[in-house]
Amino acid sequence: MTDMSKKIAEMYSLEQLSAQSSYIHNLHPLVKIVSTAVYILCLLSFDRYTFLGMVPYALYPLLVIFLAKIPISIIFKRTLIALPFCLFAGISNVFIDRETAVQIGMFAISFGMLSLFVILLRTLLCVAAVLILVAVTPFRELTEELRRLHLPNIFITLLEMIYRYIGVLLEEAATMFTAYRLRSRFGKGVEMKHMGSFVGQLLLRSFDRAERVYGAMKCRGYALHDFNHIRNPFTLGDWCFLLVTCGIFLLLRWYASPYNSQGVF
Amino acid sequence: MLKIANLTVTYPDETIGIDNVSLSVKDGDSVALIGANGAGKTSLIMSLVGALPSSGSVFAEGIKLSADTLNEIRTKIGVVFQDPDDQLFMPTIYENIAFGLYNMGVEEDEIKLRIDACLALLNITRLRDKTALKISGGEKRLVALATVLVMEPSIMLFDEPTAFLDPKARRNLIQVLNALPHTKLIATHDLSFAAETCSRSILIKNGKIFADGLSENVLYDIELMDQCGVEAIGANGRQLK
Repeated sequence: MTDMSKKIAEMYSLEQLSAQSSYIHNLHPLVKIVSTAVYILCLLSFDRYTFLGMVPYALYPLLVIFLAKIPISIIFKRTLIALPFCLFAGISNVFIDRETAVQIGMFAISFGMLSLFVILLRTLLCVAAVLILVAVTPFRELTEELRRLHLPNIFITLLEMIYRYIGVLLEEAATMFTAYRLRSRFGKGVEMKHMGSFVGQLLLRSFDRAERVYGAMKCRGYALHDFNHIRNPFTLGDWCFLLVTCGIFLLLRWYASPYNSQGVF
Repeated sequence: MLKIANLTVTYPDETIGIDNVSLSVKDGDSVALIGANGAGKTSLIMSLVGALPSSGSVFAEGIKLSADTLNEIRTKIGVVFQDPDDQLFMPTIYENIAFGLYNMGVEEDEIKLRIDACLALLNITRLRDKTALKISGGEKRLVALATVLVMEPSIMLFDEPTAFLDPKARRNLIQVLNALPHTKLIATHDLSFAAETCSRSILIKNGKIFADGLSENVLYDIELMDQCGVEAIGANGRQLK
């Protein structure tokens, strides 16, 4: 298996996890979407210095990973992909906002550092929550629920197409790259002078393949169904999970808010 | 029953892919479409499900193919593509097989039952939760077949079903196809495969029907096949011209 094929397999490994069965997997998809949305909204609503207020939220991903029996390494590795971006976004705060916020022994933590930690924690928790949602809910169920929530159809169709065709694109790239490598001078990456024609051919081939895939989709009734499935009603377990998780998220948020005199900061 | 009358497919560059073809296939019959590369076999198959624009008429189970009946026709006629990768675009095998059923509006419980039955029929239950990237060519072919079979069409069209298969997988596919009660139209270059799966063979040349008869007569006729640029069974490289 080439590196590219491994990447494709890795990309779909989250989706494969969603086919498992556990208490979390068996929850109604809408419950999982709403819980995740409330979780993210709560995290986003914190101000830039409320680090400790967000820490208890880290328990939610851990708890769901445990209940869903998902390998923590898969989520952790993918979450780290976001790390450089949030580090880049927050690093300047350290140099701009130097006023001391907390003194721990001889270590002084500035407001800039505090805001960097908040950005890091917030981003990693939000990304982890979304990854967990994908790992415990089949992609089709997610998009179907989004349709039921009346999100614009064009947005959801684009999401579906990107998700489906990114694999097609990578597969074509993997095939071309193997063929290239076997006949190239150095047997490694694509040389810069060949990059233009390689990428051009890749796009043309992917376009051609995408047309065939779309033909196969149409032959199996794609775009003919108006998604009028009767929504499965929530079970008692669904209601319990939704109320408990959202209740705790909101309670933690209220506890950390400035309106609560005993807030963390 | 599949009935085709005066079917013509013209490509945007004015090339004629299928030229005024008429034929009918009875319920439960297996018919092989034979012809050299570019003879029009794939064009014929794709036009039967409205994937290629055509003139003339196609009737499947008495329903005429038109823009209004396209949905219905595609539930009656299933197509297994030449390259199974074209049909396996979802992350897991289960989702690939379920794709058509979701589009048909089948309920979740029914989908699970149908998929499990289909996987068991093809003896590929072990692949249920795998990704298409990690299975062999022969398994991909069976999964592609399952994606269509699960929709319970009455007519099945196959485009080069033995392409990319090793002898064992090919033998397995022959057994599977012979066990299916569906009306089958199979486009293939593999004449011995056609002889083992189809009682009737139609020879196509330049988009037209050149010969139509029992497989045992058509597929072994060296002279007839040679006129269409196809090597008959038993010809062993011999050509008349």
